[in-house]
Amino acid sequence: MGNPLTIHATQQCDVLIIGAGGAGLRCAVHLLEKRPDLSILAVTKVAHPQKSHTSTAQGGLAAVDPRDKMDKPIYHMFDTWKGGDCTSDQDVVKRIVEGGWEQIQWLERRGMHLSRNDEGNISKRQFGGHTIEFGKGDSCRAVFEADRTGKGMMDTAWGEALKRGTVFLNFSIATEILFQDGVCAGALLFNFKEGEFTKVLARATVLATGGSGQVYRITTNCRGNTGDGLAVILRAGLPIMDAEAVQFHPTGIVGPGILASEALRSEGGILRNNEMEPFMERYAPKMKDLAPRDIVARSIETEIREGRGIMNPDHQIAHVWIDLRHLSAYVHEVKLKEVASFFKTYANLDSRTQLCPVRPSNHYHMGGIPTNADGAVQRATGETVPGLFAIGECACASFHGFNRLGTNSLLELLVMGKAAGECVLSYLKDGRNADPAGAGEQTLSRFSGYLAARGTENTGRIRMEMRDMMTNKVGVFRDERGMREAVAALEAYKRRSAGAAIATRGLRTNQELLERWELDNLLDVAMVIAQGALVRQESRGAHFREDFPERSDAFQFHNIESMIEFGKVLFARRPVDMSLQTAGDAHSDHFKVIPRKY
Amino acid sequence: MSQTYQLTLTIRRYDPDGNRSWDQTYGLEAGAILRFVDLFRRINVEQDATLSWVSSCEHGQCGSCSVQVNGRPMLACELLVENAVALFGATRFRIEPVTVAPVVRDLVVDWEQAYERVHRAKPYVIRPIEPPPGVTELQISPKEIARYEEATRCINCFCCATACLSTHRNFIGPNAAMASVIRLMDVREEEKDERLALLYSEEGVYRCHTSKACTHVCPKKIDVAHFIALAKEGSF
Repeated sequence: MGNPLTIHATQQCDVLIIGAGGAGLRCAVHLLEKRPDLSILAVTKVAHPQKSHTSTAQGGLAAVDPRDKMDKPIYHMFDTWKGGDCTSDQDVVKRIVEGGWEQIQWLERRGMHLSRNDEGNISKRQFGGHTIEFGKGDSCRAVFEADRTGKGMMDTAWGEALKRGTVFLNFSIATEILFQDGVCAGALLFNFKEGEFTKVLARATVLATGGSGQVYRITTNCRGNTGDGLAVILRAGLPIMDAEAVQFHPTGIVGPGILASEALRSEGGILRNNEMEPFMERYAPKMKDLAPRDIVARSIETEIREGRGIMNPDHQIAHVWIDLRHLSAYVHEVKLKEVASFFKTYANLDSRTQLCPVRPSNHYHMGGIPTNADGAVQRATGETVPGLFAIGECACASFHGFNRLGTNSLLELLVMGKAAGECVLSYLKDGRNADPAGAGEQTLSRFSGYLAARGTENTGRIRMEMRDMMTNKVGVFRDERGMREAVAALEAYKRRSAGAAIATRGLRTNQELLERWELDNLLDVAMVIAQGALVRQESRGAHFREDFPERSDAFQFHNIESMIEFGKVLFARRPVDMSLQTAGDAHSDHFKVIPRKY
Repeated sequence: MSQTYQLTLTIRRYDPDGNRSWDQTYGLEAGAILRFVDLFRRINVEQDATLSWVSSCEHGQCGSCSVQVNGRPMLACELLVENAVALFGATRFRIEPVTVAPVVRDLVVDWEQAYERVHRAKPYVIRPIEPPPGVTELQISPKEIARYEEATRCINCFCCATACLSTHRNFIGPNAAMASVIRLMDVREEEKDERLALLYSEEGVYRCHTSKACTHVCPKKIDVAHFIALAKEGSF
């Protein structure tokens, strides 16, 4: 070291895809199926695309089978609209729902091992919030591959991308998006395995970097889900949308944070506090433990906050119990087999005889990079950025509004991956490679700063403290005072991070350097989440303000959030698309702004 | 239930810049249900920020955090402290990288090189069957799928390949072979010849010595040896 950082190489490709999870690779495969001549470079932060977060999705993938006599796409659109607390864009909802079954066929033809019924047809199962006839009955529209639907989908998308000649760059991150005269020209990459910076000049660039769950202490998200794409977009002067829309699953398993599914409660599991009281009776006298996700999450948090939680001594995390001891051996061994095995694996507990520790766990970021219904990235003004696209969890089209329905995320990855691919294809007719002056300077200066830092701070410790703080102050419950404290705390972390020295010599597989960059990304994204939540003085979907517990029509819009310098967040508004409501057909009334009551 | 253990972790280190390998020992007190990934994270925060290791999902679904603990390949995200103490009857652990690819730094190996074997086995449908006219989705009976479903749970953590007696002697490796066996058993795959040619080639299944170490160490509890045996018999 001691030598100034340099750009090791310049590389050209037709399409650069940043993030090789489900969305990114679905897009890659669509491009190659239509245009086998294209050169596609898919970049992933993890060791190999198969290690992506998509692989962890369990339950299913929602899509209306056209042969289903009971179900209709309009019902699925309604469920998505209502579930999102009337903040989804209706043009996007229509597009994604109508494109669903085509994606199931796509997966099936390409070898996904979908679960089948006795006739050999694709099986479907019920999932929370999915109904027929506008809430009148339960629908069966989630196709699945046992309890590993995301893995099956990821393996299929990865296999096809490999088969069709996608070039993969693993253990690599995109640190800077490049522009020439307002047109996206590619990105600067850092291959941290080799410790080399590469300038990639691409005719089109697709961001598919996934979520930001590491902002929170307890999360279902992968270690690498640090909001990288959002941070890089903010540093390019572009906005993110509805950052405050963060979903928490009520029952994460203490330790790894992984989901203990709703099935635990639907099979009769009872939540208990440290006094063994079945406390859900107090919060939801009728539905009790079967109340909707957000109500259960808030009830558990209240118990913990009021001192009726239990502290896990090993992980130092407060939790409540889920009691499954009274359930039959059949339920434990057949119906809850997977979840029971999680408790065994991660807490060494036998759910048949022992209480199991659970607490709300960060699960999904509805907010993200604003795009139109084709996945084209938008500026704060709403105009699109030529050559730049975003899909998957890092993007916000918005399909999920302020609360995502289970099984809708995998659907979105596929439909939007293909849609963005189609849009890229038409864009490529005009797009050409440019080599912008000064490309990469921002990155080299940032990374040189990291390496030159001196002090006694530890990046990992600041990250842990930030995650705890965000969980406490900008998590399931939010109020003005707590969020103002959060903003101040984030400023303090930012100052402290300047004193985090990197002890690892050399750039090759320098984990400290990577985590230092991740910390900056986490702090940036956390800051926008906190400030977005602060200005939204209402409760909407997963965003719950104790000081403003009701939804307000005065906030019936998307927040467009830019951050020019750390802590200075600028806001603009984007209207919610209401095209299903204004269509004026027989179903339009269901797509008004309606109460979200179940 | 809040027992703690005084642990000694001896970790095999490698610094690519100095091209230097050494053993480094860390002592730490840890609770019963902390996992080895939690221990690595704590070492980074409390003792040594330079220790490099890999993980992603940290709940046994991605296969990134494979390491050798006292010579046994395991997922660090699934190994609880008290289970490790019970399994090895000790509180001292030697942790080394898996052996399926060159080490890049400390516990990090070059996964790309490891995966090259899986890529060669073509983990996809090479030539999909044409469904009859008018049919959009094939019917496949659950009984048919049950014959190979277990193998589809493989996450390519390469624990089997690390434990395999033959991997280093030109065998393509248990997980790569199994990826091909799945498609030989999948009715949607028409390209059987190319797959058979690979499985019966110089790097194919006859390199396997049937030690069944693959099955023994598989974190997903897949009977890997069974699928290798099917390939040897040719009964797909």
